[in-house]
Amino acid sequence: MAMLEVNNIHTYYGNIHALKGVSITVEEKEIVTLIGGNGAGKTSTLRTISGLLKPRLGDIYFEGEKISDTPAHELVYKGITMVPEGRGIFARLTVFENLDMGAYSQPDRFTFDDDLDRVYQLFPRLKEREKQVSGTLSGGEQQMLATARALMANPRLLLMDEPSMGLAPILVESVFETIVEINKTGTTILLVEQNATVALSVANRGYVLQTGEIVLKDSAENLRKDEMVQKAYLGIE
Amino acid sequence: MKDLIKQGLRLGSIFGVVIIFLILFGLTSTLSDILGEFVNLESRTRTGNPGGLMILFALLSLWAGSSASASDRSNWKSALVSGVSVSLIIGLFVAAFILLVGFLDSADVEMRDYLAQLDHLSVQFLLYGRSLIAGVLITFGIFLIFGILGALLAYWYEAKQAGEVIQKQVLVLKEKALDSKLAKQYKENPRSKWIGYGLLGLVVFITPQFLGKYWNYAMGTVGIYVLMGLGLNIVVGLAGLLDLGYVAFFAIGAYTAGLLTAPAPLPLQIGFWPVLIFSIVMAAFAGILLGIPVLRMRGDYLAIVTLGFGEIIRVLIRSDMLAPYVGGPQGIRDIAGPSLFGIAFSGKAYLYLIIIAILLIILFTNYLQNSKVGRAWMAMREDETVAQAMGINTLYYKLMAFATGAAFAGLGGALFAARNQYTGPADHTLMVSINVLSLLIVGGMGSIPGVIVGAFVLKGLPEILRELDLYRLLVFGGLLVFMMIIRPEGIWPAPRRRMELHEGELDVLPPEESLVGKEG
Ligand SMILES: Nc1ncnc2c1ncn2[C@@H]1O[C@H](COP(=O)(O)OP(=O)(O)O)[C@@H](O)[C@H]1O
Ligand SMILES: [Mg+2]
Repeated sequence: MAMLEVNNIHTYYGNIHALKGVSITVEEKEIVTLIGGNGAGKTSTLRTISGLLKPRLGDIYFEGEKISDTPAHELVYKGITMVPEGRGIFARLTVFENLDMGAYSQPDRFTFDDDLDRVYQLFPRLKEREKQVSGTLSGGEQQMLATARALMANPRLLLMDEPSMGLAPILVESVFETIVEINKTGTTILLVEQNATVALSVANRGYVLQTGEIVLKDSAENLRKDEMVQKAYLGIE
Repeated sequence: MKDLIKQGLRLGSIFGVVIIFLILFGLTSTLSDILGEFVNLESRTRTGNPGGLMILFALLSLWAGSSASASDRSNWKSALVSGVSVSLIIGLFVAAFILLVGFLDSADVEMRDYLAQLDHLSVQFLLYGRSLIAGVLITFGIFLIFGILGALLAYWYEAKQAGEVIQKQVLVLKEKALDSKLAKQYKENPRSKWIGYGLLGLVVFITPQFLGKYWNYAMGTVGIYVLMGLGLNIVVGLAGLLDLGYVAFFAIGAYTAGLLTAPAPLPLQIGFWPVLIFSIVMAAFAGILLGIPVLRMRGDYLAIVTLGFGEIIRVLIRSDMLAPYVGGPQGIRDIAGPSLFGIAFSGKAYLYLIIIAILLIILFTNYLQNSKVGRAWMAMREDETVAQAMGINTLYYKLMAFATGAAFAGLGGALFAARNQYTGPADHTLMVSINVLSLLIVGGMGSIPGVIVGAFVLKGLPEILRELDLYRLLVFGGLLVFMMIIRPEGIWPAPRRRMELHEGELDVLPPEESLVGKEG
């Protein structure tokens, strides 16, 4: 049984048919990437999985349990956390307060210090800026914070929406190194990206999304070799 | 040079027109009375205090002169040019106006038919009780002299050296204050904080002993507004939900207390204390009932729906249809007040009751704010979607904020009705909601001390300056506009909010505001 099973979901914004039967599976301990251009439906897919949007058709299973009717705020408790598009940090709260909010779902505060240590080890930069108001962080630091905040909830499945967005190439690289590191500690990752080059370099498998439909799925290696992918997403003629 | 004159002329005409308006409203005579009393001037005329009027004009032109010179204070010449141009224009405007009304008055034209404020006595007052020519010349002279003086004073204050010297002195003074032993002790000793609170509490508890009947009553009203302010502060300031119909819950509290304790229209006459609790519960319940359908909406929609709810409640309690049950336009009489050991509460005891209620509510709010609930509200106010993704049930916490705020208003309403031994539709107009929201804005959204300061400014000051009662709305609006421009975060804001509105000035929170270390 796959960890996450998305079965043929159709999601609408009013009359706009954003997802037209998307199916994705993610196995435990994998990094799976969903690549696609602007407006392909990547964010909609993540928002549907995380319960912020309801699919009109189709269903979603997490560890064998149906979650497509579960309200968003309950999913954290089941082990799914999202790093939203554009980071969505609480800009007016300090770095520490953001992390504290990330741990909101944690039942007791005893593990809080351990979690905080773990996260600070991964992002030493954040520890230095613990008391800084997070809106004044640089873009790269904000991405670190958004990721760190999600990790404070101890997720088993981490959904990431375009972590490379708006970052200089050198920062993108370091962000993706951390993603691999997070994955090594046993967290499964579903990574949504426009930047197919980096996404396919860290993922095990990938899906290609076009105007709300999956047009291709394969191992990351094969996708990198695929002619269509090379042309459309990797910038290779 | 040309620009300076132009700007002076523009500013001068604005000031001139505004002053003429003030005269037409009669506000000048009220203000001059207050000013005249302030400096103990005998009044020579029967309406208004001419000495006060001179002071008023002088102050206004000082202000005009200094703001006219703001554009260029690099040398005294440009300051002089601005001062002269602005004061000339104001002087001309006002003097011409006074000349005109003075002339018409001496020609026995009845201006009162058109402008209520311009009777013979008022015109005499505008002329300082002197002849037409003397009055006009005095006015013109005051504006000219003080306008120029204002510009030059501002120049002098800003002039580089003077400015630096003064700034340095201020800094030195500040450092000294911080270095003083008392301040150090205060900083080092957390117990001193509690001693401070204790002293404050003592003052609060002793003060009613020295207040007369009238002031006890007035302060009681302020206290009830503090209660409501604390409630709305949770809804708007902490949870970020704009509720414009807050008076509805005040009305529900008042009417629950009234209906259950008064002999008519329902012959129930239950005692005050159980009913007080019941009023709070009823208001909270109404908050939840309204909240369930409404809280899914955001921003503007929520504001409009709550506004409507407030009006519906008011219309219902007024209606003839429900009159047999709730008293209709006449309201409810003979509402029972509290008593302890068979002794009915006096005005003083009421004030104490209200003070105790406020203290309890402050403790409760503080507790909520620092608990998990407070964190959920904070996250929600920042970003609702992300808050959900963090595992916060936003609907639940919104309902909770709404119900808590409603409960506080219910408590306020019950105390209000019991104190007055009467309540009716006129007590529950939209104006109450507006007042409470305004006191939050003026005091400082999200801040408990801000609520208290705001209630005193908006409900207490009007009692002190009763002469201004006629202009309450004018002053009210002016104050709000003024606050938005000068200090949008309110008089005593929550540190976090101050930070939001002064971005870049402060990027590290003062330690006591951070959540670090709380809730270990
Ligand atoms: N809030 C919304 N309301 C209406 N249409 C939307 C909304 N959000 C996204 N869409 C539409 O849904 C489609 C998919 O959008 P999205 O999932 O954001 O794409 P991506 O994340 O891949 O850029 C687009 O056509 C977009 O215009
Ligand atoms: Mg997107």
